[in-house]
Amino acid sequence: MGGRHVVPAAPADRRPNEASVIRNSTQPPPGEERGNAVAWHRNIRTLRIVVQVVAAVAVLGLLAWMGSNLITNLQRQNIGTDFGFLDDPTRFQIPFDDGFDPQSPVWQMVLVGLRNTFLAGLIGILIASAAGLIVGIARLSSNWLVAKVAQVYVETFRNIPPLVIIIFFGFAIFTYGPFPILSEATTFSWPGSSHSLLILSNRTWGVPSIVTAAGAGWLGIALVAGAAAAYLVGRWRTRRGDRTGRPPHRVVWFLATFLVIGAAAFFITGKPASMSWPVVSENLRRIDGGFVLNYGFISVALALGLYTASHIAEIIRGSIQAVPKGQSEAANAIALSALQRYRFVVLPQALRIAVPPTINQYLNLVKNTSLGIAVAYAEVTALTLSSIGNGRPAPQSIAILMVAYLSFSLTISLILNMYNRRIQLVER
Amino acid sequence: MPTEICKNRLMPLTLDVYRDAHIGAPEVSPPGRRGLVRRLLVLGLVIGLLATACGGDDEGDSLLKTVVDRGNLICGVNDVLPGFGVVDDAGSYSGFDVDMCRVIAAGVLGDANAVEFVPLTAETRLTALQSGEIDVLSRNTTWTATRDGQEGLTFLFTTYYDGQGMMVPASTGYTTLEDLADANICVLAGTTTELNLTAVFNARGIPFNPQVFGDNTQLRPAYESGQCEAWTSDASQIGSAKYTIESEGGAEQYIMTEIFSKEPLGPVVVDGDSAWAQAVEWSIMATVQAWEFGLDSSNIASYSGNDPNIQNFLGGIDPKLGLPADFAVKIVQQVGNYQEIYNRYPELAPLDGSVNDLWTNGGLMYVPPYR
Repeated sequence: MGGRHVVPAAPADRRPNEASVIRNSTQPPPGEERGNAVAWHRNIRTLRIVVQVVAAVAVLGLLAWMGSNLITNLQRQNIGTDFGFLDDPTRFQIPFDDGFDPQSPVWQMVLVGLRNTFLAGLIGILIASAAGLIVGIARLSSNWLVAKVAQVYVETFRNIPPLVIIIFFGFAIFTYGPFPILSEATTFSWPGSSHSLLILSNRTWGVPSIVTAAGAGWLGIALVAGAAAAYLVGRWRTRRGDRTGRPPHRVVWFLATFLVIGAAAFFITGKPASMSWPVVSENLRRIDGGFVLNYGFISVALALGLYTASHIAEIIRGSIQAVPKGQSEAANAIALSALQRYRFVVLPQALRIAVPPTINQYLNLVKNTSLGIAVAYAEVTALTLSSIGNGRPAPQSIAILMVAYLSFSLTISLILNMYNRRIQLVER
Repeated sequence: MPTEICKNRLMPLTLDVYRDAHIGAPEVSPPGRRGLVRRLLVLGLVIGLLATACGGDDEGDSLLKTVVDRGNLICGVNDVLPGFGVVDDAGSYSGFDVDMCRVIAAGVLGDANAVEFVPLTAETRLTALQSGEIDVLSRNTTWTATRDGQEGLTFLFTTYYDGQGMMVPASTGYTTLEDLADANICVLAGTTTELNLTAVFNARGIPFNPQVFGDNTQLRPAYESGQCEAWTSDASQIGSAKYTIESEGGAEQYIMTEIFSKEPLGPVVVDGDSAWAQAVEWSIMATVQAWEFGLDSSNIASYSGNDPNIQNFLGGIDPKLGLPADFAVKIVQQVGNYQEIYNRYPELAPLDGSVNDLWTNGGLMYVPPYR
């Protein structure tokens, strides 16, 4: 009873109070300083500034102290503090990278390492996204077996450290595992064809690739143009579908447009691209042609992909469950199939919720590629440590490493944040 | 005087800055005759620098004093290379390099067991030493110009003259490096062998692919499972690996006769601490000197001859190395002479007639006279 009387009165009281508080900070309350300004050491504004300044000076001083400590110690031991070593020759061969000249400068080695980090991160992200989406949906399946298998997958991978999974792949699958040595490699090919589709060994895997010849640049431009045209066609089909209510068959139209333009461009530019098939060399020591994946890369990409998939699956599951149940019921009410319900009603809403936490998982995955050193994958951390062991200064090398990972992560989160902003529902 | 706080090598550093603060002045006059502001500035500089210079763990005169005060030696070693440094199930270390740590502890502290071993990988060993995490590195580390200069390290008496070798399974029948064209070659990351492998194969135009590992526990399974055709490292290391693989019932191994580099291995300390370097070096060299004198762990304490050189060596003189007078007796009694230490480890190549034999037998083990 009493509370109800006080509540309406409060806003009216607060306004003059707030004003007096503000006045108090500049003008003293009567009786304390008799109309003069408060002494500076009792003025809350001044004190706040002073505290900020003192904190800033302390932090900067600590950093400067640590920095000068480092430089003094390095100089006393005759270790340089500059970045001139980046122009020195690397002097060691990068594993599974025939194109790298050991005489090229250290900064090129860093770039090769970054490329390998990027490749493992990219493939890992693709695996994690696909597997995570499937497992996440499977977790909610009404089929008991499917749901349990998905749950076991999630609980297994989520509760093992990524390093252990990587080592498991590197050693249990490759070193001690079922794959033969290269000279006895298992080869899969088209029935009736001499081309190998897949060569498996415990060292490297070979897969077909596309090699380009002169004129490939024009083909590339034509393909981009074809993709743009296909996109426009797809949009036209969508609008037409919306207008007429007839099924738009967007995928068919999209692919048809792209393939027709691509095939035409391929022949007009004089077939500048061709397949390269992997083949084990005559001395049985390397795979020539095709694209060669080394076991370190496969271990890192697969292990991190599957590990991160378990986290993404949980994000997907949570996001689907966050979509109001009425949406699914409405979809059922208008007789959509289970697939249609997911495709048109549930997932578009769930994925919006899933994007921000998934960004974190992507970032973790890219950072975790540094564990590839355990299976001798030549990513940027492994190469930098090798380089430090071979006489490059550690503080500068590690600084470069940190900047590299930082820019990687910031780029990923920038791109995905932009995407996130674009797809979020505009709400008021 | 604030400079009293940090003595020795830190002192010149502070004076340098002191001088820098007076750039342009014809001569340095006592701060008392200068203006207050300038005096404060200089004082601030000196104190700031002192805080800096004393900030690390290098307070006091030398690492020698630090180690004696602390009462134990922190020694960086290998823990996965049988013969040189390996740790057993009970956590105790053994090996040639490990015994060299014990030699230093016996010499400096009089107790061969006053050692704390820090296992290090090839990649982290130099940084551990530079950052002061360990007092001395005794982990089959090759003495090179770059490491000596650019890395700020001081290499001491070479305890083991080594060279790079190549091992292949005997069944393959490969005998020369040229047999290894296009091969995968297992090597440790961050080692001189990694660099030398690249240099030698490139110079001879042999294409190859290195497969690098952090340590031998990762490398060995890869080699044995056929991921690499060959294993290259210091001859001592692959000799040890051959011994281990064959004694554990693995395939027979062949080490190519060609040795394609020089790898002098020995203890390493940081630059700029000659008192510590001297103490470590003479402790190590005492094992060779004892061997040359025919003194070993069984007879050194009871030596009763009248050879003045030996009497000097056993404590007759104090050469002011910062070591106790009887350090040689302690070392040989507790750990042994060079030959005893070496022959304790069957993984090492036979000593007699090798390059590591005594100079009087045609080897390279030669130490300056103790007088």
